[in-house]
Amino acid sequence: MNGAMSAWGAIRVIAGREVSVKLRDRAFIGSTVFMLVLVTAATLIPVLIQQRVPSIRVAVQGAAAADVVDLATQLGHDAQDSGTALPPALAVFGEGGLPAADLTSVEVEPGRDVQQLVRDGDVAAAVVGEVPTGLTVIAAQSVPSELDVLLRAASSELQIQQAAADAGLSADQVTALTSPVMPSTQLLEARPTGAVPPELLVLVFAFLFYLSVLTFGMSIAQSVVEEKQSRVIELLVAALPVRWLLAGKVLGNTVMALGQIVVILGAGLAGATVAGQGEVVRQVLGASGWFVAFFLLGFVMLACLWAVAGSLASRIEDLQATTVVMQVLVIVPFFAALFTMDSGPVQRVLSYVPFTAPLLMPARVVLGNAAPWEPVVSALVVLATGVAFVLIGARLYEGSLLHTSSRLKALQAWRASR
Amino acid sequence: MVLALERVTRLYDERRALDEVSFTVRPGRMTGFVGANGAGKTTAMRIVMGVLAPTSGEVLLDGRPLTRELRRTFGYMPEERGLYPRMRVLDQLVHLGRVHGMSRAAATRRATALLDQLGLDDRSHDLLQTLSLGNQQRVQVAAALLHEPVLLVLDEPFSGLDPLAIDAMGELLRSRAAAGVPVLFSSHQLELVEQLCDDVVIIDDGRVVTAGPADEVRSRRGGRRYRVRVQGPRPAAELVPGVAGATVVEATDDTVVVELADPADDQALLAAAQAHGVLREFAVVRPTLAEIFREVVR
Repeated sequence: MNGAMSAWGAIRVIAGREVSVKLRDRAFIGSTVFMLVLVTAATLIPVLIQQRVPSIRVAVQGAAAADVVDLATQLGHDAQDSGTALPPALAVFGEGGLPAADLTSVEVEPGRDVQQLVRDGDVAAAVVGEVPTGLTVIAAQSVPSELDVLLRAASSELQIQQAAADAGLSADQVTALTSPVMPSTQLLEARPTGAVPPELLVLVFAFLFYLSVLTFGMSIAQSVVEEKQSRVIELLVAALPVRWLLAGKVLGNTVMALGQIVVILGAGLAGATVAGQGEVVRQVLGASGWFVAFFLLGFVMLACLWAVAGSLASRIEDLQATTVVMQVLVIVPFFAALFTMDSGPVQRVLSYVPFTAPLLMPARVVLGNAAPWEPVVSALVVLATGVAFVLIGARLYEGSLLHTSSRLKALQAWRASR
Repeated sequence: MVLALERVTRLYDERRALDEVSFTVRPGRMTGFVGANGAGKTTAMRIVMGVLAPTSGEVLLDGRPLTRELRRTFGYMPEERGLYPRMRVLDQLVHLGRVHGMSRAAATRRATALLDQLGLDDRSHDLLQTLSLGNQQRVQVAAALLHEPVLLVLDEPFSGLDPLAIDAMGELLRSRAAAGVPVLFSSHQLELVEQLCDDVVIIDDGRVVTAGPADEVRSRRGGRRYRVRVQGPRPAAELVPGVAGATVVEATDDTVVVELADPADDQALLAAAQAHGVLREFAVVRPTLAEIFREVVR
C-alpha cells in the first residue's frame, strides 16, 4: 500500500488540496463572483447606454425656424442609422460625427408666447425666426447639446445652399459645395484597429494579471505559512521531498489563477456576444493567445518567490513584512507597463525584462509593434528566469521551512541546510 | 526490523545538540526516550524522520541507511503538534494518507475506522480547530497510525492528555508493539515510561547516558540496596552499624533501607536483621527510573 510514490502523484495530491481549499474559501468565491459581476456589467452597461437616443421636443415659430428644425430632425435621424459616417456639410469643418437624436417639433402660431412654453417645460427649447440669418434659440438654462449641434449644422447647410443659389451656381456646383469629396487616407504603418482601442485591451489584461498575481501570490504565501505555523510541515517533510511540496503548491494555485482568469474573460466575452459586439469578441480572442501564454509563464515565475516569501515568515502576522518585496515586484512592473504604452526603446527593452515582459510583450503584439520572433524570445527569457527562480526558491524554501521560531532573512535561509 | 542510530551528531552553529548518539529500537518493544528539556530528544527524533539531517553519523534500518521511501512507511507524531486547523477532520486524514502514498479510497476507509476507534466518528466533518485539544491530539494519533506504519516515532505522545486518555494511548501503543512494530516515544512522565517501556534510553545534554532493557538499566544503576522491616524493641536502623560495609539510606521506625558496599555480605545483613527482632520483610530494592534519571541529570 505504501509502495513507491511518483513525484507527479505526490505533486497532484498537494496541488489537489490547494484547489479544494480554495474552492471552499468564501473570500475567493466572493471575489470571483464580484469580478464576474463587474466584467459583465462593464460589457453590458455601455451598450445599454449607447442605445438610448435622446428625445427632444422643440417649439418652432417662423418659416426659417421650421426649415432649420426640419433639417436638424433629419440629420438627427441620419446619425442614428449611419453611426459614425460624417454628414456632408459638417465634414468640411473636420472630424466628429453628428449626435443622434429624436427631435419632435411643435409649431407655434405667430404672436403666441414661446418663452412661456419653454418656462413651463413643455419643450426643451424653442427656435424663433423668419429668415435663416435671424434665428434665435430660446432655452431655460441651457440648450441640450445634441440639439445645439444639430441646429448649427442645419443652419449652416441651409445658408450655404441659399448663398449658392443666389450666386447662380449649377446643381452640381451646389452639391460640390455642400458635399465635398474627402481625401482618402493611406497608412504606411497601419496598426491593427478594432472595436476596442488596443490600449484599452492591454490595460484590461495588465490589470487582470496584476490582480491575479497579487491575490494568488498572497494566497500561496499564506498557505505556506499556515503549514509552518500549524507545524503540519513536519509531517509533510517527513513524507515528501520539499521540492515536491513547492511544486504542488505552485501548480495548484496556478491552475486556480488561470481558471479564474478564463472564467472572467469568458464571462466578459459572453456578455459582449449577448450585447451584439461580435467584433470585440474576435479581437480579444485574437489577442489573448500571447497574453495567456505570458500570464502562465509570469505567474509560475513569481509563484515560487511568493512561496519563499511565505516560508520566511513563521506566523501570518509576519507575512506583511516578508512579502513587501514581492508586492513591489508586482506593482512596479504594472505601472511601468502603464506608462510605456507608447512604442519606443524603453518599451522595447522592458518587454524583455522578466518582470515586465509578461505585461509588455503581449501588449506590443496587440499594439502591432513587435516582430513575430520577439514574443518567442521574450517568452524564453521569462521561462529561463522562472526555472532559475524555481531552483533558488526550492533551496530557500528548504532552508526556511523548519525554522518556526522567528522571521528569517533570505540569506539565512540560503545558508541553512537541513 | 531494527532501527539503529549510529554515532549521530548534530551541530546547531557551534552547539552540539547531539553528540555521537547511538541506540537501537527493536521490533515488538516499546522504547522510552527520556531526557530533560533541551537534552536532544526532539532533535534525535527529527533526524530519524529525516526532517533534520545529521551533521555526522547515520540512521540504519536493518543495517541499511534510511531513504525517504522507507521513512514514508513510518508513523510520526511531532512534538510541535500540527494539522491543518481549518480543514475537516476526515478530509485532513485522507489528505495525509494520500501524502503517504495511500489511495483516496483506502485512506478514507482507514481514517473512518480509526476515528471510530478513537470515538471521534461524530466529529469527522467538523473543522479541526473546533475540537478540544484532547480530541485534536487523538486526531494527531490517527494521522500517525493511518498508513499502517511499520515503525512508530512519537514525540511526547502523552503530554496534554487526561488520565483516561493516557491509559487509552498506552493501550494503543502496546497493541502496535504487540503486533511487532518497533515503537520509540519520548516522555517527561517517568512513571509512565517505567510502566510501559521494555527498553529505555536516557539522554542528557546530547549524550546517551544509559540505554538498554528497562530492568537491566535499573539493576545496573541500582547498586546493592535492601529494604529490611523488623519488629523489635528498638528502631530498625540500629541493626545497621553491626554489619560491615552497610550504610543507612533512609529509615522509619520499623523499616530501614540499607546500601551495601561491594565487598559486604548480604547474608550478614540478613543475620543481623533476624537477631534484631521479628523479620517481616527482606527485599532487594531497585531504583525507579525517576530516581536514576534524577541522579544522572544532576
